[in-house]
Amino acid sequence: MLIPPSQIKISIITAPEFNLEYLWWLTILFFVLSVVYFIGVFIIRNRITSTNGRTKDKKVEFSPMINEFLFYEDSNTKEEKMNYLNLKVQIRELIKHNFDREVLTEVLLDLRKDLSGQSQTVLIALYTDLGLHQDAYEKLGSRKWQVVSRGIVELTTMEVDESYGLIIKFINHRQSTIRKQAEIAVVNLREEGIKYFLDNTKFKIAEWQQLKLLDVLRHKPNYTPPQFSLWLTSTNTHVVLFSLRLIKYYSQNGAEQSIITLLKHKNRDIQAEAIECIIDFHFVNALITLKLVYSKASNDIKIAILDAIGELGTKAEASFLENLQLTERNFNIKSKVIGTLNKIDPERVLPTKNISSADFYDVELEDAMQEEELSIIDNHEDIVLHDGIEDVSTEINIEVIGTEEITKIPRSFEEDITDKETERVMNEDSTEFEAELQQNDVKKVYSLDDIDLSFLPHIKEEVVFEERSKETETVVDNEHDLELEEELTFNFLPFVVEEDVIEEVTTSYNDDDFKPLFELDDELLGEVPEEISVNPLDNTSKKMAHVFDWSTLNSENEEQHEVVINTADSAEPVISFENDNVSFAANFMPQEDLDAMVMLENISELGDCRELILLYQIIEKNSSEVVIERANELIQKFSYQSPRPNELFSDDNDLSDSVFTDIYNLADYETKLMLIEEIKLVGDEKEIHLLENVIQSESKKLVKKANEALEYIKSQLLIVDDKPNNTTDKESILNGDTELESKNTTKYKRPVSNENGSTLFDQLCSMSNSLYKKKDG
Amino acid sequence: MGKNVLLADDDQLLASLLNFRLKKGGYTVHHSVNGKEVKEYLENTMPDIIVSDIMMPYFSGIELIDYVRNELKSNTPIIIISSAGNEQNVLTAFELGANDFITKPVSPTELLVRIAREIDK
Repeated sequence: MLIPPSQIKISIITAPEFNLEYLWWLTILFFVLSVVYFIGVFIIRNRITSTNGRTKDKKVEFSPMINEFLFYEDSNTKEEKMNYLNLKVQIRELIKHNFDREVLTEVLLDLRKDLSGQSQTVLIALYTDLGLHQDAYEKLGSRKWQVVSRGIVELTTMEVDESYGLIIKFINHRQSTIRKQAEIAVVNLREEGIKYFLDNTKFKIAEWQQLKLLDVLRHKPNYTPPQFSLWLTSTNTHVVLFSLRLIKYYSQNGAEQSIITLLKHKNRDIQAEAIECIIDFHFVNALITLKLVYSKASNDIKIAILDAIGELGTKAEASFLENLQLTERNFNIKSKVIGTLNKIDPERVLPTKNISSADFYDVELEDAMQEEELSIIDNHEDIVLHDGIEDVSTEINIEVIGTEEITKIPRSFEEDITDKETERVMNEDSTEFEAELQQNDVKKVYSLDDIDLSFLPHIKEEVVFEERSKETETVVDNEHDLELEEELTFNFLPFVVEEDVIEEVTTSYNDDDFKPLFELDDELLGEVPEEISVNPLDNTSKKMAHVFDWSTLNSENEEQHEVVINTADSAEPVISFENDNVSFAANFMPQEDLDAMVMLENISELGDCRELILLYQIIEKNSSEVVIERANELIQKFSYQSPRPNELFSDDNDLSDSVFTDIYNLADYETKLMLIEEIKLVGDEKEIHLLENVIQSESKKLVKKANEALEYIKSQLLIVDDKPNNTTDKESILNGDTELESKNTTKYKRPVSNENGSTLFDQLCSMSNSLYKKKDG
Repeated sequence: MGKNVLLADDDQLLASLLNFRLKKGGYTVHHSVNGKEVKEYLENTMPDIIVSDIMMPYFSGIELIDYVRNELKSNTPIIIISSAGNEQNVLTAFELGANDFITKPVSPTELLVRIAREIDK
């Protein structure tokens, strides 16, 4: 049934009935309350203002008094002294009121912050003299924490030493503000305060509080810090941490074991601080513990430990780090491990990502191995020669070890190389191989302990080269070898390869100094160096070694050997070996010849082509063959000093090799690219060998460049060869007595000057300059 | 009649103390508590030396130096009083032409010596 809309009744919400009188009363109430509030605010504000005004007035009133007190001097006039006494009476009357006392205290505290020197001392004395510290003592007994805190601050600022006993009881106050003020006060007031504080504090010492305490300590004049290691055993971890920081700050490195033990502390902060101390004090003994705690340490501690190992560690830690490198999963830690590895052993970890394999470069394994062998032997020679060469000139007692020991050298190296080859074949990964090769180089070649150097002769350094003109002792003796080997240790004796010894021996016999004194047959003189010049590492010298019988020299039953050098003129022995000593039988020249020889030697040392006339005159005047011969030598020397073409391009001459080789070997990647570019521009057939080496051993980009350069040079050489005028070959030119600038030579050789007319030397100079500029940044 | 010293410092207590010490040292001291007063005083009188705090209301010590050197074109010696750890302001003051500076806490005796030295120059 539908209800018509007109009959529907909608109920309307009606407001409750409210008595309007109440509303008026409420309005009046709120109005009164607001008036009271505003009146209250007005009164309080006025009171504060008036108090501030009074305080300001009082400060103005006190200020001249305080000035008088601060700058009072005994030398003042009578009137000033009278004035001072009056002020003292006046101020004592004033401070009887609490308000005045508070204002005066406030003034003194303000001035304490702004004044220094004598004025400050007088101010502090005035504070206690006026008895204001008694008020501070009363404040310490207040129930309000802010009053207590203010009392502590006053006493601390005014350095009231007597308050120390009252303040220390607040060290462990439950209210943190009071506690912190008390801590600073205790440390500030007395030197032993820090000890009391560290002994007794039971609460946490916040980082900021530690900084403030440290600031107090470091500003204390003539402060002698206690041994903070005593508190490393504290049960309060914050005390231990703060002590560690103080130990580090005051560099108290006498607690090594305690600090190392703290590495095992459960608190990470203490662990981290201990690690920092260990790094600072360079406690190498901590390495074992560092490695021990590493496994269970948190990530940040692990990084700190790795830092410490990087600072303190040696290559002995490399295996530990390599294990970590394999096991660690955290990227940051793994990076740190690699960084540490490279720090203790630079370039131990080489780049492995996006590095092409060895096959990529099509390098034949055997060729590479041969090069490796050569490089190892070269390196070894370098080391030995470097150690020995310089000292040879001052040494004369030479002990040579027999040929049996010499034969050991190549064998030991062969073994090394064979080992390497085996390892290399086993290892297909080129990068790992390179890393291993480097390690092997370091361990097997550069480690003196691993090299069998027994074949090297020992040079006795203490030999005195006395009166060289009178006697020259060359002792080739094996009788004392064993004794000397026991006496002489390897560390301080230089090693000398015979080649250098021979040079020295040769100069000792063939030196110009002897010429005026002895008449020696050149042929015989020439034999001596030939016989002695045996270099076990040099193939060329080995060829001559057959002349020299080492076994006879080294035999234990050696008898007196007498090497008789027969001269054409004299039947007497000129040089004889008796009792292992070399003795010379002098054959004196006539005085005139001697003078002439002396002059010739002087000319030889100091003269040049201008002495040619004089030399011809000497030849005319003198009949002695020795003098004439020497003069002729000098004429030849001064007539032409430039190198002959055949000298320049002989196989023995360095110029027969590419001039780029040495620079290239020392250059970095970019420089190598530049060098190859230059070789392409100015190179000739001498650079072919270098380029071939580059192609075999270098990276892809360098190989590509080298290939381009090689092809270009070869093509240029073919063009030159095809020219009809260029019929001579290299041998014909080198054998000919033509000058360097001869037409054929320049035609045959690839042009050493470029299109601009600059020579190869110019090019090298400019390159050298650019390299140095690049190096200098 | 002693040398005229303009002491510009808003810290009444310290200024009063320095004033007292300088007067005792034989100087005639004019004390200004803010930059405005300093500017007004300098428009009429040029003292023999100015001792000014860096931090002042209305007109800082740095601005005072700039005003004296560039607007008044005066070579009057200026000694700056600065708080410790306010080295940058000190450097700026020197760049603008300050002659000397002294850090708080101040030793009045030291200030007296510095003032005497600058005036003697």
